[in-house]
Amino acid sequence: MGDIPLVELVDIRKSFGAVVALQGVDLTLGRGEVLGLVGDNGAGKSTLMKILAGSVQQDSGEIRVNGESVRFANPSEAQHHKIGIVYQDLALCESLDVAGNLFLGREPTVGPFLKRKEMHETAARVLSDFGVSVKSTHQLVGELSGGQRQSVAITRAAFTNPSVLILDEPTAALAVAEVESVLALIRDVASKGVGVILITHRLQDLFRVCDRVTAMYEGQSVEDALIGDLDIESLVAMITREGKDRK
Amino acid sequence: MSSEVRATRRKTVAPVTWSQRLSTPTALMFMVTAAVFIVFSISSENFFTTQNLTNIAVQVAPVAIVAVAGTFVITAAMIDLSTGSILALVGVVGASLLASGLQSVFVILICIAVGALCGLVNGWFSTYQGMPSFIVTLATMSVLRGIALLMTKGFSIAIPSALVFAQLGQSSFLGLGLTAWVAIVCVVIGSVVFYRMRFGQYITGIGSNEESVRRAGVRTNFVKMMALTLSGAAAGLAGVITAARLGSGDANSGVDFALTVITAVVLGGTDLLGGRGSVIGTVIGAVLIGVITNGLVMIGMSAYVVPIVTGSILLIVIWINLRGKNLAQLLKQIVTR
Repeated sequence: MGDIPLVELVDIRKSFGAVVALQGVDLTLGRGEVLGLVGDNGAGKSTLMKILAGSVQQDSGEIRVNGESVRFANPSEAQHHKIGIVYQDLALCESLDVAGNLFLGREPTVGPFLKRKEMHETAARVLSDFGVSVKSTHQLVGELSGGQRQSVAITRAAFTNPSVLILDEPTAALAVAEVESVLALIRDVASKGVGVILITHRLQDLFRVCDRVTAMYEGQSVEDALIGDLDIESLVAMITREGKDRK
Repeated sequence: MSSEVRATRRKTVAPVTWSQRLSTPTALMFMVTAAVFIVFSISSENFFTTQNLTNIAVQVAPVAIVAVAGTFVITAAMIDLSTGSILALVGVVGASLLASGLQSVFVILICIAVGALCGLVNGWFSTYQGMPSFIVTLATMSVLRGIALLMTKGFSIAIPSALVFAQLGQSSFLGLGLTAWVAIVCVVIGSVVFYRMRFGQYITGIGSNEESVRRAGVRTNFVKMMALTLSGAAAGLAGVITAARLGSGDANSGVDFALTVITAVVLGGTDLLGGRGSVIGTVIGAVLIGVITNGLVMIGMSAYVVPIVTGSILLIVIWINLRGKNLAQLLKQIVTR
């Protein structure tokens, strides 16, 4: 594992015009660790993750991946450094089948033609490896349940062999049983050595899958704690800064 | 959980068979077309003749060629209103070049290139300049027909029937007009590209969730621009075929062409809002329109009724389409009720 964290964000700052979104955020992530990133709406979680995923560029501050200082101009550069992200709403194409979604952008071909058989066989194997259950890899994603879609989206991101996987509200609007399977999938991904950052408002999920929690408040990282040291009250207090100095 | 997945793996890797494909709503559209065909065959003794069936095939050819390309455009959540104007401009350009003495083969290639260039312009404005394709192609529809009218001053330019160019519209092979064979080749190529190549996969994905495809590393603007370029090239080829068949380049040809093409595409089950398309369905849609158009005339209806009927069909299928269905799905729902 070594001493060098998988990801280090140091003093990240970002403003959109007059609006200061991030004012000096620090964050670390280790290999195989599931880090919960919590905070109220507008705390800056999504902006921070967009910076790590290359969708937004920081004004100042440093990103280190495996100790190497990097700066991402676009999502492709972040992907090149094995950083994957699953957005809440922008993950899948409903009118493509499961295999088509898993391979989107890197379909195997023979000459100019798709190797459909290989796509479906590999998709079935990968889904099976991650314990994701779908009726058929020929099924359109639009016909899947919310939980199945989220599982396919996470599997797709994990299928690219990322070192870091960012999940933005993966369990929002899912049924209880579906939440269980998505959380199991997250643990499964982390067990393969992938560092996972989980953004969620479902605090109970954090206790199920996270090793550590970092709280943000008004564009700053304000507290960091091992999940074992927290209970639901102290976690809520971390997010709301209850009983602590508010800015 | 893993055993459940293992249990379904045989099923997941099972290929989709042709019988499964034919059980889809496309088969129902085929049956509707066959039913209309039978009704006209009974209503008019001149409908089901070799001569008339060959006529239908030749008439359907340019619509089918452009509608196949139009399936890519509409599936990618765009639209091309300029195909009729491209058809007219290309016909005029082709006839002018032939009149200047250029060889037919070069003229045909230049005509297709002119169509592709028009499509490229449509595509560039609609993607890299962020303009809606509806507005861009509405504008170029006017511009291109204006250029064709300016070139001809409203008169048609005759194409000598002895030229290879003109033979394209008059020759036949195995009893079927050469233009129909060209359309068949285009349909086969279009189907392969749509169903078997990355380009078709990305077109469907873009119509469904463009941002997702972009984040997967696909240059979505380029793919969309190529779809409109393809539509322009197809309209160029249709312009060649139409001019060859008519024996002249006419700036006033293809006025309702774009309407017919869009009707064929939507009638075939392609979602007007993008994300779902069917090349096979489009071909059936084009044939259905061809059969209705020809059949109405054969049973003695005025030719002026034809645009009323095709316009009404478009109105109805889009009305159904915007409710999340296509005509075939609606029929399937009624049949299985």
